[in-house]
Amino acid sequence: MLTAFHKYRHVFIVGLQGNLVYRWNFAIRGFFSLFHLIVVFILWGAAFAGKTTIGGFDLAQTMTYFVVLLMMQFFIGAFNEDYQISEEIRNGLINQFLLKPINYFLYRFTIYGAARFVSGLLFLIPLAVAYPFIDQHLSFPPELWRLGVGLVAMVLSALIQFSIAFCFGLLTFWFLEIQGFVILSFAIESLLGGQMFPLDLMPEWVFRLAQYLPFYYQMYFPVAIFTGRIDQALAVQGLGMQAIWVVLLLAFNHFLWTRGLRRHTAVGG
Amino acid sequence: MTRYLQIWLASARYSITRTLMFRFDFFLWATVELCWMAVNLLLIAVIYRHTDSIAGWSKYEMMLLVGTAMLIQRLLFGFFWTSLFETARNIRSGHFDFFLAQPGNVMFMTTTRKIDPDSLVNTIVASAVIIYSANQLGLQPSLGDIALYLLMIFCGLLIHYSALTLAISLGFWITNAQGIEGSYFTLFEFSRLPRQAFAGIANVIFVWLLPAVIVSNIPAQTLLHGFDLASALWLLGAAVGWFGVACLVFHRGLRRYSSASS
Repeated sequence: MLTAFHKYRHVFIVGLQGNLVYRWNFAIRGFFSLFHLIVVFILWGAAFAGKTTIGGFDLAQTMTYFVVLLMMQFFIGAFNEDYQISEEIRNGLINQFLLKPINYFLYRFTIYGAARFVSGLLFLIPLAVAYPFIDQHLSFPPELWRLGVGLVAMVLSALIQFSIAFCFGLLTFWFLEIQGFVILSFAIESLLGGQMFPLDLMPEWVFRLAQYLPFYYQMYFPVAIFTGRIDQALAVQGLGMQAIWVVLLLAFNHFLWTRGLRRHTAVGG
Repeated sequence: MTRYLQIWLASARYSITRTLMFRFDFFLWATVELCWMAVNLLLIAVIYRHTDSIAGWSKYEMMLLVGTAMLIQRLLFGFFWTSLFETARNIRSGHFDFFLAQPGNVMFMTTTRKIDPDSLVNTIVASAVIIYSANQLGLQPSLGDIALYLLMIFCGLLIHYSALTLAISLGFWITNAQGIEGSYFTLFEFSRLPRQAFAGIANVIFVWLLPAVIVSNIPAQTLLHGFDLASALWLLGAAVGWFGVACLVFHRGLRRYSSASS
C-alpha cells in the first residue's frame, strides 16, 4: 500500500512539473474564461431586468452559480485527458505501461489530479483580478455543512469527469479518431451538466430525469451544493447516486480496458 | 478572378470527394454541430420559460438573432475553418512552405483550401431556425429585404473570417499559436447577445471597438425592423476595415516566416 502510494506520489510530482510547463497556457485560458463570464453576466443581467428572482433565485445567487461553476471547471474539469489517452494508445506509448507494475487508470488519474491542481490554482489569479468587479454580485449560503458535503461531491465529480474522459480515450482501440465523439459528448455534458444554465430552471420532469444521469453529478451537483441551490436531503441522496455512478463508470472503464487490450497490437521495441 | 474561382472549385471538389470517402465522419460531425446548435437554442428556450424579454427582445426575436449568429458561424466553418485551423499548425511545423510554392495569392490559397460539407449542411438548420422565428413573428420580408439580409450576412462572414485570420497570423510572430483560435470562440460568444443588453464599458469594447456584437445584430435587425442605411454602412465599413487589417497583418507576418521552427 505504502509502495503504491510512493509510486503514484512520484507520478503526481512528474505531473506537476509537466503541467507547470504550460502555466501560461492555463493562465491565458483562465483570462479568456473571464470573457465567458462577461457574456453570462450580460445575458442573465438582461434576463433579470424588472425581476427579482428567476426559478426562485435572485441575480446574485445565479451569478454565484456561474462563478463557482467556472472555478470548478478549472479544478475538476477533464480538459484534454481523453486526447492524451487516445494519443498514447495510437502512438503505442501505452505499451510501456503494459510491461510495468503500474495501473494505467491510476497513473492517468494521478496526472489528471496534478494538472487540475495547477490549472485550479492558476485560475485563482484571473479570478482575484476580477473579484473587485464581481464581488457585489456574489451571494453564498451561510450553512457550513455545504462546504464538507460539497468537497466530497467535488471529489466524486472529479472521478466521474475523469472516468468519462477515460472511456472516450479508450475508444481509440476501436476508432482511429475520437475527436467527433468527444465534442459530441461535450455538448451533452454542457447541457445536462448544468454548464449552460442551472438545471433547476428546466421543466420539473426534465430536472428529475437529469438526476438519474451521470452528467448531473459532473458539475451541477457540487456547484448546486456550494451555492445553495439544493437542500441537505437532496444533497445526501445525490451523494449516494453519485457514488453509484462512480462505481458503474469504473466498472465500465475496466471492461473497455480489458476488451480494448485484446484488440491492441504492440509493434517494435 | 476566373482563375481563382477555378482553383476554389477544384479545392471544393477535392473536399467533397474526401467527405464521400469518410461518410461516417461526415454524419458524426454534422451531428456534433447540430447538437451544439440545439444546446444554444435550448439556453434561449430555458431563459424564456422564466422571462418575457431580454433587453427588449422577445423569444422569437432572440431565436432569430441566435439563428443569424449560427448561420454566419456555420458558413465560416464550412468555407474557412479547417484551412485556417491548419494554417496555424503549418506555420509552426514548416508545412506552410507548400503554399508559398503555389501559383496564387498565399492568403487565398492557404485560407480557402478545404471546405467542410458537414458545416454547410447545418446552414440549412440555421436557416430553418431563422425562417421559423420570422414566421412566428409574422414577418413577411420582400425579396429586396432578403437580399439585403444576405448582404449583411456576407459582411458578417467577412468580419468573422478576418478576425480568425488575424488570430492565426499571430503565429508568424509567436510561432506556437496553437489554441489561439479558441479566443475567436470566446469573442464571438458575444454575437448571440442583443446589442441593447450592453452598457458602459462593455458597450464601448464589444459594440464599438470590436465587431463581436454588430456582426449578427445588424443582419437580424435588418430582417426584424427593415433596412437601416446607417447600420448597414457601419457593418460594411467594419467588414472592409477588418478585412484590410487582416490582409495587412497576414502579409506582414508572411515576411517573417522562416520555414520550420523546430
